[in-house]
Parts: sequence; structure tokens; C-alpha cells
Amino acid sequence: MNYIPITENDRNSMLKQIGVESINDLLKDVRPPLNDELNLPKPMSEFEIRQHMQEMAKKNTVLANFVGAGSYDHYIPSALNHILGRGEFSTGYTPYQAEASQGTLQAMYEFQSFVCLLTGMDISNASLYDGASALAEAALLCSSYNGRNRIYVRDRLHPHYLQVLKTYCNAANLEITDKIDEKTSCVIAQNPDFHGNAENLAHLADQAHKAGALFVVCVVEPTSLAILRAPADYGADIVVGEGQSFGIPVNFGGPCLGFLATRDFLLKKIPGRICGMTVDSKGNKGFVLTFQAREQHIRRERATSNITTNQGLMALAATVYLALMGRNGLRTVASLSYARAHSLQQKLQGLGFKILNDRPFYNEFLAQTPKPAAKILSKLSENGIQGGLEIGQDRILVCCTETNTAQDIERYVSAVRES
Amino acid sequence: MKTIFEYDEQTSGHLADEQVSIELPGDLRRGDLPLPNVSEVNVVRHYTNLSRENFGVDVGFYPLGSCTMKYNPKVNEDVAKLEGFSSLHPHAGAKFAQGSLQLMWDLEQLLKEITGMDAFSLQPAAGAQSELLGVMIAKVHFAQKNQKRSKAIIPDSAHGTNPATAAICKMETVVIPTDLRGNMDLQKFKEALTPDIAIVMLTNPNTLGLYEENVLEICELAHKNGTLTYCDGANMNAMLGITKPAEQGFDMIHLNLHKSFSTPHGGGGPGAGVLGVRKFLEGYLPIPRIVKQDAKYAFDYDRPKSVGKVHSFYGNFGMLVRAYCYIRTWGSDIRKVSEHAVLNANYLLSLLKETFEVPYNRSCAHEFVVSSKNFGQKSAQNIAKRLLDYGFHPPTIYFPLIVSEALMIEPTETENKETLDRFASALKEITREIEENPQIVANAPHATPVGRLDEVMAARKPNLKWSAGNRII
Repeated sequence: MNYIPITENDRNSMLKQIGVESINDLLKDVRPPLNDELNLPKPMSEFEIRQHMQEMAKKNTVLANFVGAGSYDHYIPSALNHILGRGEFSTGYTPYQAEASQGTLQAMYEFQSFVCLLTGMDISNASLYDGASALAEAALLCSSYNGRNRIYVRDRLHPHYLQVLKTYCNAANLEITDKIDEKTSCVIAQNPDFHGNAENLAHLADQAHKAGALFVVCVVEPTSLAILRAPADYGADIVVGEGQSFGIPVNFGGPCLGFLATRDFLLKKIPGRICGMTVDSKGNKGFVLTFQAREQHIRRERATSNITTNQGLMALAATVYLALMGRNGLRTVASLSYARAHSLQQKLQGLGFKILNDRPFYNEFLAQTPKPAAKILSKLSENGIQGGLEIGQDRILVCCTETNTAQDIERYVSAVRES
Repeated sequence: MKTIFEYDEQTSGHLADEQVSIELPGDLRRGDLPLPNVSEVNVVRHYTNLSRENFGVDVGFYPLGSCTMKYNPKVNEDVAKLEGFSSLHPHAGAKFAQGSLQLMWDLEQLLKEITGMDAFSLQPAAGAQSELLGVMIAKVHFAQKNQKRSKAIIPDSAHGTNPATAAICKMETVVIPTDLRGNMDLQKFKEALTPDIAIVMLTNPNTLGLYEENVLEICELAHKNGTLTYCDGANMNAMLGITKPAEQGFDMIHLNLHKSFSTPHGGGGPGAGVLGVRKFLEGYLPIPRIVKQDAKYAFDYDRPKSVGKVHSFYGNFGMLVRAYCYIRTWGSDIRKVSEHAVLNANYLLSLLKETFEVPYNRSCAHEFVVSSKNFGQKSAQNIAKRLLDYGFHPPTIYFPLIVSEALMIEPTETENKETLDRFASALKEITREIEENPQIVANAPHATPVGRLDEVMAARKPNLKWSAGNRII
């Protein structure tokens, strides 16, 4: 395959116009030039590469999935991929030239609006890389806002999120502590938590606010927001999370979609792109990137973050997904996910599993297994089912979405019986 | 165009409408869910029409300097969507993920060969996050060696992300000016190289589109000072098969897979940044690492020196698939990519150097910077807007900051001579318009879906989300 459209004749006349003999004459400033050819495999035709990629994909085994833990298998409506595949969207870049990017910009504005409607917050940015780094950015934001450098993290934060948070904290000289006091910059809680527990966190918000700290809620499974109270209702100052559930395949963990929404007073501290509505020279409505003075390409070492790109196409996916599902569809997704998880939980209880959730859960629960977890999960995988995430020797974290049908659940249950 | 929130219809059924009961206590339960219901046909029309107000590489020439807006081959899109890749859960476990792990392992080997580095982390989601990881590694490295080094040397031509990244890591930035040939000033660099310098962050070729002629000396001097050398590899599209950053003396490099290896830019992401390091820094890379034993691939979490983790899972896997596919397609011919990127840039420069001021009189790498200051203040902005009327995406403007009225032009290798000729003619025509009919340029664009937008008003009266009663300003 050759993606270079320059003919031999053109190349010669271009070199002549430049005034050199060969392309190598243009590379005289290169230090040090490479003498040998790169040791890479031989080029492939489109047909060959497609076959090669298909073979590699076949080496993966996709089972009926009952695992969530940060990545959720929801149904993706067909129309979504057709929109996402449009080159006008996928092959553009950050809309620096607003007049030629109204599609991307309006979609960003709609994304920001959807995030605000779901979380109840005042402002959203146009997305961040993923849930974990969005949480870390929120911690940096809080510290930059209140000048404090201690962070309180509630139990049962997704362990990967905690690792990413710690990594950023080490870099930025922030400290994770186990108490809330007048030195606390922010209080972070995941809801529903890593074990699936859903809680009204108003009491934690009060505790944070009494200490003068900001309250950050992290939402890893955002379809929960269709039936659970919006974090703004129980006192969140910042809501961050992962939007992958909204129309993005699990894709071995990426690309994902981080989001970050805040109350009004944090506007000028927000990391990442923000789109705003304005007017053009004729007074017509239009959209632009705004508050760019926060950003690295203007403010350099005084920027609110080093972030350049957002997660544009994934934010578009979430926007189109929410538009396609709508109020009714999203409620259906959430209700079915809830119902399937509760149906499986009841059946497993009947088989000697102990449910360890101490609060109501949404679509994910922690179960103590009657036999070693590894044994049960291995029996399930023999039956084509990925039955849960092993957490210690006798615990599994199990998740259902609307894509786990009643038949899948029956298969799950009979495989457990046989184990 | 109206927003999606201004529709309200019956929805069609993407899912079976099943009656289920939910038993949640009232203090947990949500009341109203204020989303619109829109029919599928209207959702499709709405976003299709929005897409028509957008410019992309598939629409036309997009010479946005520093961003490498090359053509994104369609086969890469198809293979990334293969069920085996896209439906595999990140917790599937190594046993069921051999294909994905092999792809990541093989991609790492390819990137090592291309750059000369000894190990790569594929975890960072973007170049900026890769830089952050690089500076984190420098910080941890010196902490472990008990050395107090709290400063980063960065040339004045650098991307804004470099100083912003250093700032996150609480490092002070020491800025080095550019010399008359467009290189980082070697003398000033030597003077700045004090024992508290942790890292020097250099872009090569630099943002002026010039290969750093002193790169070998810079890296050698840094190393003698115990300083780590970091290459911002945003411009790798000028180095494929031409030179290896490790041989230039860099200890670390990030690559933007979405630039050099042609994964679509998505209207601003998802990208993929990967970080390559020399052997002595490998232990610091994020967990998990992918290891190969007896033709099987596995995750390795046992890396006690690791800085930790920067991504929810293993990185933007879908973008890794596309980049891998691109590199394997080119294979040992990949040098042609950079050769033609350099050819196209120099050709376009030769067509424009009589019209615009060229700040550094040298052959350029894969991009170049010219100044429109002879055409007055705000001329770069006005020329950019007017280019839209000619059907071209404008170059990057006002960057790098050291060139006034800068136009930073990166044609990439995927354009033919005719396109470059048309673009050069359009720019010349616009400069003629500035002399003869300045208003048409100052008020441009005229042929876009909206006219020039009021950015001041956007900041002064923020309207950042839709709400009822907020339909049209």
C-alpha cells in the first residue's frame, strides 16, 4: 500500500523547483543520519494486512461478559457508528478554526450540556482522557483553587483510579491522608463505589464543606445516573468520571472518555477544552473554544493543566448515544442493568454465595463464593462466560448490563451449579 | 442549527421495553431525567448535518503545523473494529487476550526499532500525558538517587505543554532562546546547565520545522551534568528511517501515534502518546508491563521502581491497533513517509519564500514557519480566515511564539503537487487581496457556515450549556 500520491515526474520537478538534486540534499542538517535501513518487516498490501489483523484478533477470546469494574458492556445502537465514521468528524482536529469546525464545536456544547443535565452541575469541560486521569485532574484543580495539598479518599475507590491519583499526587507534591481537617484540599468518593454500593453522600459533602474542602464525586458507571440521584443534589462541587458506558466499546480498556463538571465558581480553574456559544459577525449563533487563557498553548507554565487534546470523538460518541437513547432509552438501560444484576444476585444467593454489599447496589455486586473463586470462574469460562473479577481467594465482583440476557444468566447459574 | 435538546419526540426502541421493578430508597433515587427523546431519523440527520459544517482531512488540505494532519487510511478503521479487539474486556485476563497482548508487544518492538529506544510504555493517552509521565520519571529517578534537581530546561520555541508539564511536577522552567539559525542557543544552554537541572526537553525537529543541528552536543553536555534528555517527538514524521532519537542522545521520547502513525485526530482526540526510554529508565515505566515468555504474553505488575499508573487500563488500545496496522503496512519502506513529508514542506516553502518573510534561511524538515508581518498586524489571523474561503484549512498561526505573525505550515506526505500548487496560489492571491481589497480579507471568512465568531463575547457572557429558554442568543 502506498499513501503517498506524488508521481516520479512530480518529484523531479519539485526537487528542481527547490533547487536540489535529491531528497537527501534536504536532510543535510540531520544529526546523526541513520546509515542502515530500519530493520522492519516487509511492507504489506491492504489485503495482507487485513488478513494479518484478523488472525491476531482471532487469538483473543470474547466470552459472555459479567465483568464491569471500570469498563461496561452496554448495547451500542447501529446509528452511532455510522455517525462516528463520518470523516468530517473523525479526521478533523481540535477546532482552532471555529468557522470550519461548527460540527465538532456544537457537538462539544451538546456533550457539555448532557454532562450537566446528568450530574446536575453548572459547567462541564469538553472531556478528558479517561475516568482515572480526570479524577487526578480534579485533585490538581482543588489544590490550585484552595492552595491546600492534602487529599482524603474514601474507601472503595476503583484501585486503578487510586493508583493513577497517587501517581499524579507524587508528581504534584500532594499527599493522600486518612482524615478530613482544615488542611484537606478535597474529599473524593466514588459513587456507586468499586463494590457497587450506591449511597447518598450528603453527610460526606457536609464534612468536607465544614473543613473548607471541596467535595469530588467520581462516577465510573454513568448509566447509573439515569436512576440514581444527581451528585449535585448531595453536595458535589466537582463530578468526574468515565463516560465509556455511553456508546463506547470496551476495547480492551481504551480509548475511554473522562468527564469533569463543576460548580460555577471553579470555571477559571477547569482543565481542558471548553466550548461556548457566541455570535458571528452577522449576529448568528455559533460556537467557539472559550476561556483559552487557562490553557497551556497560551499560559504555558501557568496553565491550569498541560492537557491539549480532549477525547473528541469519544465525547461525540457519548453525545450521539445519549441523543439516540434519550430519556426513555437511558432509563431502560439503567432499569434493565439493575434488574439483571439483582436477578443474578438472588440466584447466586440461593447457591450459597454471600452478598457482601452493605448498601443498595446498582448493577454490580461483591459476592463471597462458596468455593474458591478461581475454581468457579474457571468453570464459568469453560462455559463461555466471564463470570466476574476475582478479588481475593473467595470474592468476585459481578456486573450485569442490559446485554446480559435472561438466558445468559441461566447459563451462568447452571455452570455454577456444576462447579 | 438547533441543538439536540430542542427536539422532543417518541423514541424508537433500541432495547426491548421490559417492565422491571426498582427498589431504591427515596434518598438515592433520581426524580426527573431531563434528557430529550429524539427519533433515530432525526438524530442521524442532526449529526449528519453538523458533520457537514466541519472540515477534516477527508474534506481537504489541512496543513495545520505541528499536528501532522495526514490522510488516515480506512483499513485501519476497519481492523480496529474487529470484534476480537473491540469487544474484549480489559479484565478478560491474559489467557483470553493473547491477540491484544501480542499486538501491544509487537508494537513496542516496532517503536523500539524506529526510535532506537530500549522500552516503550503504551499507556499515555496523549502526547501531553506522555510528557507528564516523562517528567514524573525524571522526578522519581532523582529522588531515588537523592539528588535535588528541580528545574527543566526548555527552549523558547517549545510547545506550551512542555512548561505546563514541568509546572505540574513542581519544576521550574529555565527558558533558552533560539539562535540565528533557529537552533536552541548552545552558549546560553551551557550557561543554564547548573547542577539543579533535572531534565532538558527538546523538540526535534523543533517547532520552527528545523532539525536541531546541535542535538548531539546538547545531549552530551546534559549527560555530563547528570541531566536527563527528553525528546518531544511530536515531529517524528520528519525522522522515520532518517535518524534515531536514541542515537541523538535522548534518554526518553514521546511519540504521538495520531500524528506520525496516522490515527485519526477525532476532532481533538482520542490520541495515543507512547513513551520510549533507555534501559536505565525502564524500571520506572507504568504498570502493568507486557512480557513475553515462551511465545505467550502476560501482564507484569511486579515493578517495584515503577512510577505507578497514568491510565484507567492499558492505554488507548483502539488507537494502538490503528498505529500498528499503519506501521506494518509501510514496514521497511517507512522512510518514504518522512522523505516525502520533507520534500513537500520544502517544495511549498520554495513557492512561498518570495511572498512571505522566512525567519531562518535553511532547508526545513517536515514543516516550516513563515511570517506575514509585512502584511500588518493580525495578518496571520486574517489570512487564516480567508484561506477557509479558498477551501483550505489554515495552518497553525501565532505559534511558535518567537516568530511574529507566524504561519506554521505542515503539508504532510499525503498531498500531491497539484494541491500544494493550489494552496500556494491561494496564499499569494490573498496577499494580493490584502493590498487591493483589504476588507474582504479582514472580514473573512465569507463562505463558511458561520461568519467570523466573536470570541470576546463568548468569554464575557459565558454560555456553556443548553438550558430551556436559552435557545438562541
